[in-house]
Amino acid sequence: MTGMIERAPIEILGWFLGLLGSFGVPGWILAAVSAVIIIGTVIGIFLGLFALTSVMERKILARVQNRYGPNRVGPFGLFQPVADGIKMITKEDLVPRTADKAVHFLAPVVMMVPALMVLAIIPYGRDMVPAELNSGILYFFAVGAGTEVAVFMAGWASNNKYSVLGAMRAIAQMISYELPLVISAIVAAMIAGSLSPSAIVAAQGGFAFGFVPQWFVLTPWGFTACLVFYIAALAEANRSPFDLPEGESELVAGHLTEYSGFKYATFFMAEYVGMFAVCGMLVTLFLGGWQAPLPFLTIVPSWCWFFAKVCFVAFTMIWVRATLPRLRIDHLLAFAWKFLLPMSFAAFLSAACWHYAGRGPLAWLLSLAIVGIPYLILGNSFTNRFAVSRRTYQFSE
Amino acid sequence: MKIIGEWFVLLPAAVLLLAAGASVVMRNLIHAALCLTLSFIALGIVFIALGAEFVGFVQLLVYVGAVAMLIVFAILLTRPDRLTKSGTPFSGLGPAGGAATGFAALVVLLAFIFSSPLAKKPLPAPASAPVAAIGGALMGNDVVALIVIGVLLTAALVGAAVLAMEDKP
Amino acid sequence: MNFPGFGILKGLVVTARNMGGSYFEKARLTTELYPEERPTLPENSRSFPFLVYDGDDPEAGMRCVSCKICEKECPPQCIFIIQDRDAGGKALKRPKVFDIDISVCMSCQICVEVCPFESIRMDQEYELSSFDRFAPLLLDKSRLLKSNAYYRSIHPTEAAETDARIESEQKKKEAAAEAKAAKPAPSPEAAP
Repeated sequence: MTGMIERAPIEILGWFLGLLGSFGVPGWILAAVSAVIIIGTVIGIFLGLFALTSVMERKILARVQNRYGPNRVGPFGLFQPVADGIKMITKEDLVPRTADKAVHFLAPVVMMVPALMVLAIIPYGRDMVPAELNSGILYFFAVGAGTEVAVFMAGWASNNKYSVLGAMRAIAQMISYELPLVISAIVAAMIAGSLSPSAIVAAQGGFAFGFVPQWFVLTPWGFTACLVFYIAALAEANRSPFDLPEGESELVAGHLTEYSGFKYATFFMAEYVGMFAVCGMLVTLFLGGWQAPLPFLTIVPSWCWFFAKVCFVAFTMIWVRATLPRLRIDHLLAFAWKFLLPMSFAAFLSAACWHYAGRGPLAWLLSLAIVGIPYLILGNSFTNRFAVSRRTYQFSE
Repeated sequence: MKIIGEWFVLLPAAVLLLAAGASVVMRNLIHAALCLTLSFIALGIVFIALGAEFVGFVQLLVYVGAVAMLIVFAILLTRPDRLTKSGTPFSGLGPAGGAATGFAALVVLLAFIFSSPLAKKPLPAPASAPVAAIGGALMGNDVVALIVIGVLLTAALVGAAVLAMEDKP
Repeated sequence: MNFPGFGILKGLVVTARNMGGSYFEKARLTTELYPEERPTLPENSRSFPFLVYDGDDPEAGMRCVSCKICEKECPPQCIFIIQDRDAGGKALKRPKVFDIDISVCMSCQICVEVCPFESIRMDQEYELSSFDRFAPLLLDKSRLLKSNAYYRSIHPTEAAETDARIESEQKKKEAAAEAKAAKPAPSPEAAP
């Protein structure tokens, strides 16, 4: 029974293609139709998640801030995205007179396309990857680099010095945080022995001692790498506390200042879809993908577990947004280069030592030490920088 | 099917040539930089279509993600006011002279490529795990290349840090 | 020894407590969903004036005697009074027209403070918006007259005080009238 529910999406697609094939449709059209259906489903699911998240984020933020969120449109305000969509579509599309029209128009497109393309390699369930790539992780980061070009295009094309400043800060932030992101992802790929997401998920299967899941996040190096990936993902998606580029109180809206109406909605959508994509990648790399946490919970279908985990990670991102104040740009960059990057290298080294020390109890202790000591050293090195010392004056001679 | 297979390489190659040509000809510097980025993307797709997945993705990651941004930052930080006007050309060759020089460079490069021993060897069979094979080669036979690149990158990073450091009193 | 991240964890716990607690404790969710829940206003809150009448009949029990002090004292001059005259032209102690323009009124309560007859008081109704700028915001006598029972319900302390004052004055008047009636007639031999 559970096997049926689990394989339901694949079976339905197969039945439909078989139906088409029985009408004499040639093979290549069937392949194209299959691709279109899969792409449509994935994009549909993620856009639906985007709509739901945009309202749930506002409601969760509101509950933390002692107020209700949107609760007028629809039951518990759940139709708010419809109202927002209507507003965005009917808003006037302002393009500054001296703006670079072609680049200004293309920037939202260039932002949205990588965000959607990246959803192709995430395994949503057992055997449910839209595109089975051998180097899927590399594809993820290569395509994600396209987002930076879009941010620059948006900032520069607006012909507005605040937009350019915001875009430069945004790009500096994204480039700085790309290194810890990639290295912490490589940690998981290294231990799993493959760059393919399905192989990484499969490497986290099985249960130690019969009931403990073997997810990477439950190891010292995996936990560190997961945290580094999470923080770097927050920064890549320009989400609080790293949302200086688009903070409303800082640079109006940074590189998005001159965008209104549907183009702004596209940027907004791309940001959320990117957030979900990177949550999906985090779940795949460290949280076991579609694996169930306990042996008897495998009755729940694999894609249910995947989406539950992704929603949980997205919820923590919203939770973090509600809790933390925004980081200043120099703090942000210092944090990336002086803390996250060394920690990601420490996790890398720790994972390698864990593997070559035989994965036994000694290996666990060793990997814990290799991760813990840099953490303590780096953590304490930050506080001394801001210690107040006796003021000295230097006069020009 | 073979026609489709070839078009996967020929179409991005055509885009690559057009974008590269456009980036040379365009007056607006930022437009030229963006066309160059498009040519990088097209080159990455050509690599992927030729079967070199790893190189293709790395091309996208490094060139589009980092080098294109570097070019753009360099333009923005050095000449933000004269973006639309092309500067005076360095030499008196003019477009015809430039095209002739480019063609001559192309002929020389092709001569070297086709006369190298790599072109004479038959194509090796594609490895079953290409990434693993590349990694093994980099750590085994070609480790000198890896170390040299590492030293180069470290020198660049140290240089950048020195340049950016404030002068201490 | 500084453990980076533990402060953030503590902050996350605080936020989560607020999030979860907002479903159970009123203190963590202080929003009042207007217009389903109306805010409880303090007793002394005021919006615009109204005329008090005693008893059941508005016209008969009206306390206003049309002395026009409030009209004179009103700073933006939003009160307009015409004194009633009987058939013979003699002035009566009641207003024929009593208009307050609440689009002008600034709720300063001066009219209440100067009224010698406790007849004009401040109301608490604030949902008075209308689609027309002029006619619905010019309250005439019929819309201004509200009973003393209503006054007691919205300003209990003030109303009690006012009623006590009116009663004591009534008693004093009656006592004075009684005393006057009980006193013997003045003797005609009173010295010139």
